[in-house]
Amino acid sequence: MNPSEENQPITEPVATQSVEYAAEAPVTGKGRLEAAWGSTEGDEDLSVSTPTTPKTDGQIFKQQYKTWNGELNPRWMRNWAILRHHLLGVFKKGHRPWGVAIRLYLLVVFIASMSDVGMTLVSGVIGDSGLHSVWGVSRDNLYGHVLGFFPRNMLYYPVVAALLVGGVISEDRQHGTSALYFSRPITRFDYVAMKFTSVAMIQGLLILVTLALYYFAEILTMGRGWAWIIDTFPMFLATVFSAILLIFTYTSIGLALSSVSKGKFFPGIALLAIILGTKVLAFIVSNLFDREILYLISPYDCLAHVGQAIIGTQPTYDQYSWTWSLASLAAMNGLALYVLSTRVSSMEVTRE
Amino acid sequence: MIPDFDQQGKAQTKEWAPEVSAPAILLENVSKSYGRIFALSNITLALNGGVTGVLGMNGAGKSTLFNILMGKLKVSQGSVKLFGTNPWKNTAPYARVGFVPEHEKLYDWMTGHGFVSTFARLNGLTRDEAKIEADRVLNFVGLTDVAHKKMGQYSKGMRQRAKIAHALVNDPELIILDEPLQGCDPLARTTIMNVIRELGRMGRTVLVSSHILQEIERITEQIVILHQGRLLALGNLHAIRERLDQIPHRISIQAENPKALAKNVIDIDEVFGISFPDGKNLSIQTHNLGAIHSQLPRIIVENDHKITSIDNPDDDLASILGYLTSGGGA
Amino acid sequence: MMATKPDTIYRAFDRKASAIVEFTLRQYRTRTSTWVVLGVGFTALALIFLIYIDVMSSEFDSYDNDGDSLDYDNDGYPSGQEIRLGTDPWDSESHPGLFDPPVEPDPVSMYINEDGFDWDITSKLGKQTAGYDDDGDCLNSDKTASQKDTNDNGVPCDIVVEFYRTSDGQIYSEIDADFGVDEDPDEDAYSREAIHLAFVLSIGKLGFVLLLGIFLPLFMATGLIRDEMTSGTMHYMLAKPIARSEVFLYRTLGYLGIVWPYVIALGILGALISGFVGPSESFFRFADLGVWLAIIFATMMATLVYGMLFNALGVFWKYGIILAIPFAAWELGMALLSMGVPDATILRFSVVGWALMIVDAAAMMVWPNLDLFIVMGWWGGGEGGVFKSLDGAAPLDFFSSKPGMGLSAFSATIVATLVLLFQAAILWFIGGALFKGKEIQ
Repeated sequence: MNPSEENQPITEPVATQSVEYAAEAPVTGKGRLEAAWGSTEGDEDLSVSTPTTPKTDGQIFKQQYKTWNGELNPRWMRNWAILRHHLLGVFKKGHRPWGVAIRLYLLVVFIASMSDVGMTLVSGVIGDSGLHSVWGVSRDNLYGHVLGFFPRNMLYYPVVAALLVGGVISEDRQHGTSALYFSRPITRFDYVAMKFTSVAMIQGLLILVTLALYYFAEILTMGRGWAWIIDTFPMFLATVFSAILLIFTYTSIGLALSSVSKGKFFPGIALLAIILGTKVLAFIVSNLFDREILYLISPYDCLAHVGQAIIGTQPTYDQYSWTWSLASLAAMNGLALYVLSTRVSSMEVTRE
Repeated sequence: MIPDFDQQGKAQTKEWAPEVSAPAILLENVSKSYGRIFALSNITLALNGGVTGVLGMNGAGKSTLFNILMGKLKVSQGSVKLFGTNPWKNTAPYARVGFVPEHEKLYDWMTGHGFVSTFARLNGLTRDEAKIEADRVLNFVGLTDVAHKKMGQYSKGMRQRAKIAHALVNDPELIILDEPLQGCDPLARTTIMNVIRELGRMGRTVLVSSHILQEIERITEQIVILHQGRLLALGNLHAIRERLDQIPHRISIQAENPKALAKNVIDIDEVFGISFPDGKNLSIQTHNLGAIHSQLPRIIVENDHKITSIDNPDDDLASILGYLTSGGGA
Repeated sequence: MMATKPDTIYRAFDRKASAIVEFTLRQYRTRTSTWVVLGVGFTALALIFLIYIDVMSSEFDSYDNDGDSLDYDNDGYPSGQEIRLGTDPWDSESHPGLFDPPVEPDPVSMYINEDGFDWDITSKLGKQTAGYDDDGDCLNSDKTASQKDTNDNGVPCDIVVEFYRTSDGQIYSEIDADFGVDEDPDEDAYSREAIHLAFVLSIGKLGFVLLLGIFLPLFMATGLIRDEMTSGTMHYMLAKPIARSEVFLYRTLGYLGIVWPYVIALGILGALISGFVGPSESFFRFADLGVWLAIIFATMMATLVYGMLFNALGVFWKYGIILAIPFAAWELGMALLSMGVPDATILRFSVVGWALMIVDAAAMMVWPNLDLFIVMGWWGGGEGGVFKSLDGAAPLDFFSSKPGMGLSAFSATIVATLVLLFQAAILWFIGGALFKGKEIQ
């Protein structure tokens, strides 16, 4: 027995008034619209021209709810749907619209991030060892691919993060579309985790994928053997790890900002202000007063310090140990995730 | 482009002299299209003096029409003249216009008085003049009591009235109100209707839109009906009604035995068609509604019919529009 | 409709312009984000001020640049004293204690910072002679005449400073000192002054012009028109006899009405702190006020141009911020570039490049011998010394730069101001035109 049959009225329904048109009237489908349109919106008491006809018949439908016994898709499948919705929006229509300018910027950054890949290929093809020694895979170049300040961590990655986090949660709050998620069997944790993962994965596409391409370009063009790979692979893994740390940090700070604000503008600018502003302040202080302590409040510098330590390049911060930077990163991420989780769990599912 | 240095509200450096003979509103063959969708299609309209109700369903083009008049939208074809001037090019005529937008959103952090007096200064009033004027119009719309409260605390009716006050503060000759009654409770409705009627009596040109005929009926008899961007009817409401009387009306009667009732009813001269939508209902078609209603009770009583309900489904704007749009237009 | 009596200027502007300006100010006041942004800006700058105060109140380490306080032969006499008195500093059997009557050893501190800068010259092109041997280890020693004039300019115990221009237009300097002249300058005096100057320049250029100049407009000006358009409240303003470009202008003025006093207040705070805390002979460094004035002015100009720009971007597109963010990052890069290469042509295509030019020009006017001062710090007692350059010279050299384009300080200020005003006017024009062409639903 299907549920609709259960909801049959107890009494026979009185046939409702039908809307009728003259015979020659074309079928327009407007009947429903117009029938819905005679609304008086609370003016009934005052209306003088509407003839009131008492309704003698009324009916009450017996409400019977039957539990749904269908199979709920597993949790990962629902989450995958959210993730897919955000990720595929970057590539094609019909998913989360990311905006032409954002996608264009992602493309520009993707191409620009591959400058070292291109130079490695070029130097391999023309066989210029001088060029290769500048651009090929080395400790410093791996570090630079992910953590170099100019232009990568000034013009590329923070801006990408800022553009991505801009509306991810705040627009849902502003438009009330978070209700679309929360009216379904999706927990808030899943919702925010998938938002986080999708934003992080788009950044990963730019940073990690180009990093891998860079490494493989070196192997292919220079004909590197296993000895070289075994030699350099730990260094590559360390770079991947610092890249993940970077993506995670930018995303968590950005999403925390996105969850506290309404507009699309604020989180983006605030993320950029935090990353670049603290960097500039710390830079002034260390240059002027020879005190590096302010680098601890700059997310970028903490990432760079930790990256230098685990990739093993020449450290540029020498007044304190890199574990301080790691602790500072942990504190920043912890604070950001705390803000994010409290804001999302207390988020009212309404349009604000 | 150059700012208005004397700040008196001319808005343009070019001298603007209102054309005395021009009507307040003059639209000639105005169309507004978004891509292939026409929001307004070939509207020609001149209005001057009195209260005019603009009727139409949601999406009929009322707000588009007003936004074109207020220079917020650019016409695709045709010409718009507000006191003889194209409002898209020159905002100077707004010195003589008051506009109440449809949008609910207000500056919640402002007081009613602050809101009205601040925007009064945009008409070129000084601070002191603006305060006096704000007091006057707030009194006019009956908001004096709450004038110094934050607008965020206002009820919907108060908000609508604050918007009206803001529009009236420059003592305009033309007042355009976009859905001023929307969402108001009956009391606020009556107040706002009185305000609009009062403005009409003061000789202002008032344009008020609604999608509810009964509201407009209580304010004015001069109406414009828009439907799907086209001008359907224009003129006195009663004249339009009378013209509509030429069109068959329906009376729908629910009876225990509609077939028997039909036998009696068919004798009335004015009835020219009968149908049975279903087993319980009888539908009568007529050109003269009044004649049927005067005879129907007698027939029913004499023949002892059991009647559940009598209904005139055509007596509202919906069916007027239904007739007008279904090709039988007057 | 209204009184037609002639207006005073005040009454004239007490109508539309002041209404929108006042409205905008009150609107900002009701927003939490305004206070957060202004508060964070204040906190960030205050943090740097505090570090500055801390650095200024601590002592700079004094170095013995020429190493004459050391006692190489362990005879109890610093080598400076031995040289002065003619004994052998490398021979423990030869020291002034063997004199008749014996000379007591001088305290070591006498030979630290004992010969400071006596450079009464300016940084003009050509060779100049400077320096005076305070401790007499050149003048009074029993050196020969040619040993006293190692730089061969005919003057014993002096320093030849030469500024010259190379073919690429850059100005370089060369210092050739006679041995033992100004060889052990006072680090505390020099570094305190240099770090103070570098602080004023860096906080002014990066803290004020760059950070405040970009982020205040980003947060506060982008939505000036756009927010009203999105929320639908723009209808009230546009239903009045006012041209849209006027609304654009007055809204921007309203934004300046909150940003400018904020910048001025922070600038005055900075001027007061650095004036009282900085090294000075009187209780306050009045000379620096000129630079602070330029910093405030340049920041005001930057916030004006960026405000117009970001406001226009907001009008242009619903997501104007997406255009504004890469632009802000670009300007940051330009600011850093201007520190290193102030003559780069690409700087002329930025806003911040011009604004920084004003600060540089003012520094050039107020501190005419800044270049010489930097040169002194790099030289720091000469090649013969233990430490070549003095603390503070490097950051001062980094943060100071020439106004660029080969202009004099005064004309650079005028040109930069005119260009910035022109940029603001063009952006207002564009913004107004964009706004005028917008259909508002």
